[in-house]
Amino acid sequence: MPATTISAIEARRTGTRFVYFAIGAIIAILLIATAFLLLTLPDANAFNSRVEQVFVENSDLTGQAEIRLLEILAQSGTAFADTLANYRMVISVLLIFATAMLVAALASLVMLVALNRRMAQIEQSGIQVNSMILSREEKTVYLNNMAFKLTEAAIETLGVLAEARMDDEMLNGAEIEGMISGRDASDCDEASGATRIKRLRDALGNQMMTELLVKNIARKGYVLAIDKSVIKIV
Amino acid sequence: MASTANAACYADYKAKRDTPLRLHYGVAEIEGDCTVANAESELPERLASDEWELLAVVSVFDEDGLDERRANAGDYYLRY
Repeated sequence: MPATTISAIEARRTGTRFVYFAIGAIIAILLIATAFLLLTLPDANAFNSRVEQVFVENSDLTGQAEIRLLEILAQSGTAFADTLANYRMVISVLLIFATAMLVAALASLVMLVALNRRMAQIEQSGIQVNSMILSREEKTVYLNNMAFKLTEAAIETLGVLAEARMDDEMLNGAEIEGMISGRDASDCDEASGATRIKRLRDALGNQMMTELLVKNIARKGYVLAIDKSVIKIV
Repeated sequence: MASTANAACYADYKAKRDTPLRLHYGVAEIEGDCTVANAESELPERLASDEWELLAVVSVFDEDGLDERRANAGDYYLRY
């Protein structure tokens, strides 16, 4: 039976291994190319030995002027070999740049894939809160720059919850009621805290649905704030 | 080629020197057998005194062949 679940950690591990392998492969290929290029470029003596060969193989090349010409030929070849040494430098620098570019390109590609996957997850999971700004003076909470007006009591409840979250604490109904009313938690009723939470959820949920799903456009009417292509009625 | 034991023997050769490449064509007198093989064994030592390296012995000949090679050998005519 095929596995129906995939582990995100496993996927990430194979992904990382793949990236290291790919970067290694790029570097190896370019190193081989560099070595090949540098080793196959003719060295200075290639010209000299060729001239020498011409001199030995042609028995009538014995005149002084001809010999002088051969020497000049060899010298110009040697001068060109110096130019080749410069070429080697330029080629290796270019290859290093090419390596860096390829590695960078691969890294961005992998990052792009990871980002796409993350985006898909975010789209699936609905609203993802990236920022929450609680403004007590305006009695407003900003979630991802969407503003939600709340009552004073709801703002208090949200404030208490936010402070508890920042301290990594959990509160039960009695503690919430105690913190808001300023009494000791043992004197407070669990149910009244639950009521506060319910009111907060109602107020926030209603407005959030207004913003995200059922929009009200002034003097025009109501409309679903979603793309019509995603709707399917079964 | 007829060659007697007491006739003078000469060889013309090609030699080189490295960095920078220098070449010369020269004529040298050969002591001993008048053969290319003998010239090849004799000449490297003499040329090495001036750091020349023997590339090839072209031929061996007697006095009759000297004149026609004098101009081409130039400075290296009977030098080594």
